[in-house]
Amino acid sequence: MGLTERPKKKTQLWKKASVHFLLCFIMGFFTGFAPANKSYFSTQNVLASNVPPEISPPREEISDTRVDHENGNFDRSMLDETLEMKVQERPNVGTIDDKGDMANMTHRRLVIIVTPTSDKDELRGVLLTKMANTLSLVPAPLLWVVVESQSESTEVSDILRKTNVMYRHLVFKENFTDVEVEMDHQRNVALKHIEYHRLSGIVHFASLYNVYDLSFFDEIRTIEVFGTWPMAFLSANRQRVRIEGPVCDSSEVIGWHLKSLNNSADDATRSPVHISTVGFNSSILWDPERWGRLSTDQHTSQNSIKFVKEEVLEEDTKLKGIPQDGCSKIMLWNLHIPKVIKG
Amino acid sequence: MKQLQSLQQTRGRNNSFRNQSPLDSTADVTASVKSPSSIFWLILHCFSCLISLILGFRFSKLVFYLLFSTSSVNYLYTTSTKTTSFGGNDNIAETMSFTTSLRSLSPPVGANVSGGVVSRVVVGRHGIRIRPWPHPDPDEVMKAHKLIEAVQREQKVMYGVKNPRSLIVVTPTYVRTFQALHLTTLMHTLMNLNYEVVWIVVEAGGVSNATAALLEKVEKSKVRVKHVGFERKMPIFWEARHKMESQMRLRALRVVREEKLDGIVMFADDSNMHSLELFDEIQKVEWIGAVSVGILAHSSHPDEDPFEVQKNVDEEDEKKSPLPVQGPACNSSDRLVGWHTFSSILYKGKSANYIGDMAVVLPRKLEWSGFVMNSRLVWKEAEFRPEWINDLDMVVAAGGDDDIGSPLSLVKDSSMVEPLGGCGKKVMMWWLRAEARADSKFPSGWTIDPPLEMTVPAKRTPWPDVTPELPSNTVKVISSATQENTEKRATKTRTPKSRRSSRGKRKRESRNADARVAARNSGEKTQ
Amino acid sequence: MRGFVFLVVVLFGFLLNLDHAFELRKGQKTERISGSAGDVLEDDPVGRLKVFVYELPSKYNKKILQKDPRCLNHMFAAEIYMHRFLLSSPVRTLNPEEADWFYTPVYTTCDLTPNGLPLPFKSPRMMRSAIQLISSNWPYWNRTEGADHFFIVPHDFGACFHYQEEKAIERGILPLLQRATLVQTFGQRNHVCLKEGSITVPPYAPPQKMQSHLIPPSIPRSIFVYFRGLFYDVGNDPEGGYYARGARAAVWENFKDNPLFDISTEHPTTYYEDMQRAVFCLCPLGWAPWSPRLVEAVIFGCIPVIIADDIVLPFADAIPWEDIGVYVDEKDVPNLDTILTSIPTDVILRKQRLLANPSMKQAMLFPHPAQPGDAFHQILNGLARKLPHDKSVYLRKGEKVLNWTAGPVADLKPW
Repeated sequence: MGLTERPKKKTQLWKKASVHFLLCFIMGFFTGFAPANKSYFSTQNVLASNVPPEISPPREEISDTRVDHENGNFDRSMLDETLEMKVQERPNVGTIDDKGDMANMTHRRLVIIVTPTSDKDELRGVLLTKMANTLSLVPAPLLWVVVESQSESTEVSDILRKTNVMYRHLVFKENFTDVEVEMDHQRNVALKHIEYHRLSGIVHFASLYNVYDLSFFDEIRTIEVFGTWPMAFLSANRQRVRIEGPVCDSSEVIGWHLKSLNNSADDATRSPVHISTVGFNSSILWDPERWGRLSTDQHTSQNSIKFVKEEVLEEDTKLKGIPQDGCSKIMLWNLHIPKVIKG
Repeated sequence: MKQLQSLQQTRGRNNSFRNQSPLDSTADVTASVKSPSSIFWLILHCFSCLISLILGFRFSKLVFYLLFSTSSVNYLYTTSTKTTSFGGNDNIAETMSFTTSLRSLSPPVGANVSGGVVSRVVVGRHGIRIRPWPHPDPDEVMKAHKLIEAVQREQKVMYGVKNPRSLIVVTPTYVRTFQALHLTTLMHTLMNLNYEVVWIVVEAGGVSNATAALLEKVEKSKVRVKHVGFERKMPIFWEARHKMESQMRLRALRVVREEKLDGIVMFADDSNMHSLELFDEIQKVEWIGAVSVGILAHSSHPDEDPFEVQKNVDEEDEKKSPLPVQGPACNSSDRLVGWHTFSSILYKGKSANYIGDMAVVLPRKLEWSGFVMNSRLVWKEAEFRPEWINDLDMVVAAGGDDDIGSPLSLVKDSSMVEPLGGCGKKVMMWWLRAEARADSKFPSGWTIDPPLEMTVPAKRTPWPDVTPELPSNTVKVISSATQENTEKRATKTRTPKSRRSSRGKRKRESRNADARVAARNSGEKTQ
Repeated sequence: MRGFVFLVVVLFGFLLNLDHAFELRKGQKTERISGSAGDVLEDDPVGRLKVFVYELPSKYNKKILQKDPRCLNHMFAAEIYMHRFLLSSPVRTLNPEEADWFYTPVYTTCDLTPNGLPLPFKSPRMMRSAIQLISSNWPYWNRTEGADHFFIVPHDFGACFHYQEEKAIERGILPLLQRATLVQTFGQRNHVCLKEGSITVPPYAPPQKMQSHLIPPSIPRSIFVYFRGLFYDVGNDPEGGYYARGARAAVWENFKDNPLFDISTEHPTTYYEDMQRAVFCLCPLGWAPWSPRLVEAVIFGCIPVIIADDIVLPFADAIPWEDIGVYVDEKDVPNLDTILTSIPTDVILRKQRLLANPSMKQAMLFPHPAQPGDAFHQILNGLARKLPHDKSVYLRKGEKVLNWTAGPVADLKPW
């Protein structure tokens, strides 16, 4: 205890020691406050957050009334906070630990298959099963939007449930006498759903009577805005094979195969080109400005199908023939089966 | 926010202290290195420092536990308190007092009642957190789908058929207009199976490239294809076709016999449609089983335009009577007592005679498609099969003409047939015979080259409601798009698309372009 | 000097001990997770406790139900079914002297608006009246002033008896119930309305109806995230941000355009079937932290994604919620997609295996007739685990703890 002779120095030493202890204590105290990783993922998120934030575009305006309402009361200060929050919390996914897994993960564009179904169709169940078997082979992500009129029957739900395809089953209440008008309405119901949920993907209208080559689904994923392809129409007990769709030079559409005009004019206006021969990027429905279009207000709610048809025609620069080497390969067939006999 | 920053700053300072403290102690060391007691003191000092560090840590944890019982503290929250009264009545009290404060500093009203314990949860208005770009991240989408796949795989393992036997599918086919469509459908069904499938495709008229090209597409699935040629061509009369298909199936069974393929044999015609449940169901078969087949016999009205989607289907609209079903009939104890067959009497004389006949194509009394069997039934070695099974060769010899009507001929006692699928309660497969007329032609490989003559320029035709004025003489339509007219291809019209031009201009332009294209085409031809 | 060192050592030791205590608690937790939970879940309460059911005039229970039979299918129907269950249960004793627990059958939440929403305005007076009745007719209440009594108060904010959280907090738990054990749906940690020692139960979900919608477990789960319900309660919360503390609104705003999120306000006829086709089912708080979706998710084997900070889940001491569900902080809702997709596959599969365990499902339901291991039995198990009562709960002769005149004046009016 040699130091005891000098009390001044001793007190100083004590002071120093206690300061050290205190500092260490505080240090320990705050270490304790470091976020406890309660769940396995939160730490990753925190660790990955030191990546510079991307410049985020402001929140888009949404036409939905409820959201509008919410917008009106939107607390601006909250918006600022959420922007900052992004810096804090939004992890850069690429840095998540399973990088190896990321490397072999190919991004595929969402394919949205819209299938209208009519309960007047005896073959609906069989053909839905058949379609499900095909779609379940298509690499994800794929969303199958199946529409039917509201009914007591659980046929469609029962069949859809058994497939491993991700689907949405939409119902509507209106009654129709004309099947074709009803089908158009059903397509509009589906488009409305896509528009309301702002689903982003390539939309294709698949009739239950269509049969696909699997390569078709790879091909339509390459569509930027609009795409079109030839389709073969086959009919039982007929000799004729009809082909509809574009004539291309490479992927450029230079003309159309057309149904013979010796039919009555009435028939020609009815369904001149099959809706199954066109595909488009769903964002034209809810984000037309992005594609240099006017706002969709006038078309949307009522007749999206008509809007799409018009767009295809006008946007020939964005219309792409599929498959790209001259769209000469037929990847889908439409089978016409005459009325089925009941027992 | 500010508090968070200050917190981070303090933490930062702490870090700097951490860096400094060893320096301090080294200073101590240099100052009092002389005496051993000072070394003791130094150790004590360090030890004490360590203790206080741990103490601090523990203490903070304690505080943490007391204050916020779960993980991280949220300082980012802006909260505002407001008193509103809501409910059935719409009298919203207009006493709003918006206060923006840090949530940890604004304990809920009355929270102090419960022994001074402060809840993390704040009553009042909360911000709605919206991320600036609320769109799905492609990586996450793929990950999510991988997860879904994993879950579905697990479900199959847990609830699916355990140790499925491999499946031997027998399919007679031949090259024709409907082949690609039918065979593709069947192929997709088989590709969904997650166990071994041997698909014996017997092709009438010998192995063809067209069929082989179609079958190539099963790659990357568990389906193994055996493409077998059958010398004779498919006849166009239905009666003869049925007979020949039987012979083709027998050819496949010979392959099973010779190669001693082990598994369940099923007979899937290329135009049949199957639900995936069927494949789980037939795994139950021990020797020979029968499933119910939904018969999709279709009429054909010659006056009906085949390309119009059925408008006004069912004017008569009979009360959704079920489809006719062919298959096993059982007694109350689920033993086979007979067969439901398709009542073809109704169609006597009205049924189709040849392929493409405008009449109903009827199934045979019992379609092969309704039967599944253990492949050992057809093995040469009798010890593998029960006594009540006839040898394949004997049956064929007895039947003559290399034909047996149905697999029932293999069984001495047809009551041994096991009814599957709840004995007809569940229909899991459907029989359909949709064929084009026998003389129908189609582009080889379904590649249109060169394009068909039925063309019109882009911008003009697809939607007549846009161009209703479309005069038929401006469009150089020659004839209908049938394949029998392929000789006329030379007269095809190719009109180039014109961009960003008014309609009036376009006409002129297209004529010019027409010439250009023609030139290009001829150029191509000379190459 | 020595003294200081000693002090430090002692303090250190104490904290180490404390640490040890924590670890012990955690240890128990992990043990529970690793499967001992099954034991607790399948405990048989018979023989472990005896319950005396007070005979009350029917105006406290049966008459109220007669007035509005809708109460039988309401989320808060547990109070009715528990009464029925106890009447025929072997744990019931007719001899109050040998009873461990006393039960007062009052249906306080069975007062529904035409829309079916419970408005418990009369509940405090009714409860008070019932307690007054039992305390004057029997000696047992006064013996402990309710410490060996339990009450079923399944309402949103339990025994605070108000449908609005702020008002409920202001009111606090009914003063007369401050010593009693509460069985309630409401579970918010450190909340005025959740008393220490309460038993948190699941909301009532109609068992037969759910059973009739069961589909085979082999049906592929093809939905990633499923939710049906309100995002904004425009009627009651026009401003947004009050309802569900903004969490549901955040779910909608961030994920309405994500195809992986099957979320909507429309309630389809296949709601129960769809839950059985989903991998994750969102269970965000509403006005109160709990949601009937939690029960539905467990029954239908869909991993519940619990979005409710500091929620106390039903029978948390018997059910390993951390193992079967996913907790997401309310502030993390904007990252829900990231959080869910970064859960390792085997963790998800494990959660699903646990969810497939029938005893887990059983504990969530109030079936009639009762079945072993169901929610009734879990409540009894919970009560049995609290036995024996601490000696201190028994009051000396003449001792009074409860203040019978506490609380809002309106509550003091006779019922």
